[in-house]
Amino acid sequence: MENAKINAMQLFVLIFLFELGSALLIPLGTEAKQDAWLAILAGVAGGVFLFYIYLRLYKYYPDILPTEYMQMLLGKIFGKILACIYIVYFLYISARVLRDFGEMLVTFAYEETPLFIVNALLLLTIVYTVHKGIEVIARTGQLLFVVLYFLAVAGFILVIVSGLIEIKNLKPVLENGVMPVVKTFFKETWYIPFGEVVVFIMIFPYINRPKKLKKAGIAAIVLSGINLVITMAINIAVLGVDLTSRSQFPLLNTIQAIQVAEFLERLDVFFMIALIVGGFIKITIYFYAAVTGVSNLFHVKETSKLAYPLGIVVLILSLSIASSYTEHIQEGLMIVSLYMHLPLQVIIPILLLIVAYFKNKKKERSK
Amino acid sequence: MKFKLRKLSRPITKSIPKKPGKKEEPLDHSLPNNLDELMKRTGNSSDIVVRKLTLNNDAKSRAAIIFVEGIVDNRSIDDFLIHSLINDDDLHRVEAEDEVLEKIAAKVVSLGDVKRINGWDKLFQSLFAGDTIILVDGIAQGLSTYTKGGESRSIEEPPTEISLRGPREGFTESLRTNTALVRRRIKNQDLWVKSITLGEMTNTNVEIMYIDGLARDKVVQEVCDRLNRINIDSILESGYIEELIEDQTATTFPTVQHTERPDSVAGNLLEGRVAIFVDRTPFVLIVPAVFIQFFQSVDDYYSRADIATSIRMLRILIFLISLFAPAVYVAATTFHQEMIPTQLLIVLAAQREAAPFPAVIEAILMELTFEILREAGVRMPKAVGQTISIVGALVIGQAAVQAGIVSPAMVIIVAITAIASFATPSYSIAISARLIRFGMMIAAATFGFYGIILSFIILLVHLCSLRSFGVPYMAPMAPFIASGADDTIVRLPWWGGKERPRLTVDKNSIRQGDNQKPKPPSSRTMK
Repeated sequence: MENAKINAMQLFVLIFLFELGSALLIPLGTEAKQDAWLAILAGVAGGVFLFYIYLRLYKYYPDILPTEYMQMLLGKIFGKILACIYIVYFLYISARVLRDFGEMLVTFAYEETPLFIVNALLLLTIVYTVHKGIEVIARTGQLLFVVLYFLAVAGFILVIVSGLIEIKNLKPVLENGVMPVVKTFFKETWYIPFGEVVVFIMIFPYINRPKKLKKAGIAAIVLSGINLVITMAINIAVLGVDLTSRSQFPLLNTIQAIQVAEFLERLDVFFMIALIVGGFIKITIYFYAAVTGVSNLFHVKETSKLAYPLGIVVLILSLSIASSYTEHIQEGLMIVSLYMHLPLQVIIPILLLIVAYFKNKKKERSK
Repeated sequence: MKFKLRKLSRPITKSIPKKPGKKEEPLDHSLPNNLDELMKRTGNSSDIVVRKLTLNNDAKSRAAIIFVEGIVDNRSIDDFLIHSLINDDDLHRVEAEDEVLEKIAAKVVSLGDVKRINGWDKLFQSLFAGDTIILVDGIAQGLSTYTKGGESRSIEEPPTEISLRGPREGFTESLRTNTALVRRRIKNQDLWVKSITLGEMTNTNVEIMYIDGLARDKVVQEVCDRLNRINIDSILESGYIEELIEDQTATTFPTVQHTERPDSVAGNLLEGRVAIFVDRTPFVLIVPAVFIQFFQSVDDYYSRADIATSIRMLRILIFLISLFAPAVYVAATTFHQEMIPTQLLIVLAAQREAAPFPAVIEAILMELTFEILREAGVRMPKAVGQTISIVGALVIGQAAVQAGIVSPAMVIIVAITAIASFATPSYSIAISARLIRFGMMIAAATFGFYGIILSFIILLVHLCSLRSFGVPYMAPMAPFIASGADDTIVRLPWWGGKERPRLTVDKNSIRQGDNQKPKPPSSRTMK
């Protein structure tokens, strides 16, 4: 664990940017058709519930990293194995997200640039950032938050001014009953992006005033949720359900539809900034969690030095996890959600919490 | 690499002997011996004046006064030293020889500051600082009297920081004048000054000034520590010290502010900062310095808050333009033509059609030309400077376009960037932006907007990782500190912010009373 502290506001900003990171750009919850925004709203509720579990776990061990308390809860061997699993999970997801962003950039702007170059550049930036430590990540987050919000508000106003929004695209609400929404919630929106907050258990111990953690976390989840709901609702209202669910990047199509005064048009660069900033924050946090985890688990004193070797691992992983983008997406939908997100985001934390509860009860009694 | 550097630096530090530990050589009893020694040690330097005289017409009690011509005030030596030494009657009544100096100090010399000196080091120190030394035969001690003077520049308006509103005084090369200019603004016993001599050869006086109770003790201590750590042969300008006390050296951004304006120093002291004055330079250092400070000018505090705020926003925009304008042009024309509105694209494409170079070569070429012109203009004597600007205007503006070497749009971009880089109030941050601009252009040329955005993120990360005397460089924006944020890009009116910035002040943080907001009289007739 590095010797650093961040405050509640910085954590709020990090969670907020992290949640928006990729979810803002992809067709999120479109299985629920025009009720995608309802599925996201349900995801917010699920996210708050999960955050509460992570928070309770943190409260039992406020000063140490999960990689350490897992060993205290499950014993040295099983704890270490579980910690390893989590580290590999974080590394794998950072590679996945990196692949996502690389593919997006290649498809939408850099057709002729090799994926390796695009990924390597983004990862270089990330390694440099992680090398600087959590304090710098948090401060950078605060500045990027302003940039992103400025873009979001400007884009929102422009979409409205262009007269693109057609509310009838969002109707009828709950056409096929509640089931599609519930199904989408369990299949997708609970984990992406809300369950992904699990990575923050590696960052909670850095907070300087633990009392404010709860407020900051829940505010961030709810606010980012609302932002996602608005974005998705606007996407559907502008493009219609059909186009939104078929599009790779609905937000890009929405932004491309903006045309104001024959001058403010083709604002792809808005999308690009949002894309890169979001991807940067998301991968940085996953990668940072992995790096601290490794340094903690294997007792490496200089955390920042691990960023370089692990960076190469992530880079190679991002290229080799799938042979094509379709395969990559397919893996994401079929395997990752069910066999990685569900157990690691929901089931294991709940089990850990139960173990922690009984262990600490015993301790209190023995006192 | 690091190992090599360390090895190199060792002999250098060894060759400079440390002051403490060296025993001071005492003066001799005999005056002729002392004068011989003085001449020997100074190599008979012609600017050292030795005036021999006899005290009170007594041929036995010989004395000498020694001073360096040019750095002393001749009038005060003539009137208050020589005149009174020669004419005083009291001196012959002194029996014991040791008391002569006592008597001279107490009764004869009518000058402000009189000190006793025992050894040669002390003697030279005060001699070259502009004091006059009195040596009396038979006494192994001397007196140093305050006669500092000589020619110095008068107080003028600072040429580098011109403000539309505000005092017209600027610092000069004289340390005392400079501290006095601040002292006149803050008439309070809490304004403290500490002195230190730096530079083994130059013995430069350096003073730090701060307000006790406002400046954080830790920062003051840190400043003292870092100054004491300096072991170098010379300090000729505050730039030497600036480089030696920085937190992080691997950056183009200034983490120490310098100013020529006493009102700026006073304002910063009142915010809990520490000022470092260096003798013989009008540039005073201010620490800790944060990023946003370099976009603030003293005018902002004297003009209305709303005006000041808009101008500060303009400055941020200017800074961004001077960083990104050529890069964005290069990226848009080479990679992202689809993002340019159609009409504009047609115009640009028509221009680019004839241009022989790719956009990035064009941009770097023009930027370089401009930098050359600027550098030439700075160093030129004023009479020749005009020629440069005419040639520059013709070369950049007209000839290059007419010859078809560069496209007119590029000229516009370069011109805007050039003007923008001069509009930033702080030269040190403008020059760092100018440097980074070239990196941005290369990033734009290789990876388009992707390159620019990534470089921008790296720039942000770098800025966030900097610290100035422990204060995060991007504060109070990142980390966001509410009590300091009323004076960043936005400046709240004076009645708006009650607290001093918490960044630099931890105790006594209340600046003013409640209800400072002015109101119209309750009844309109004022009765």
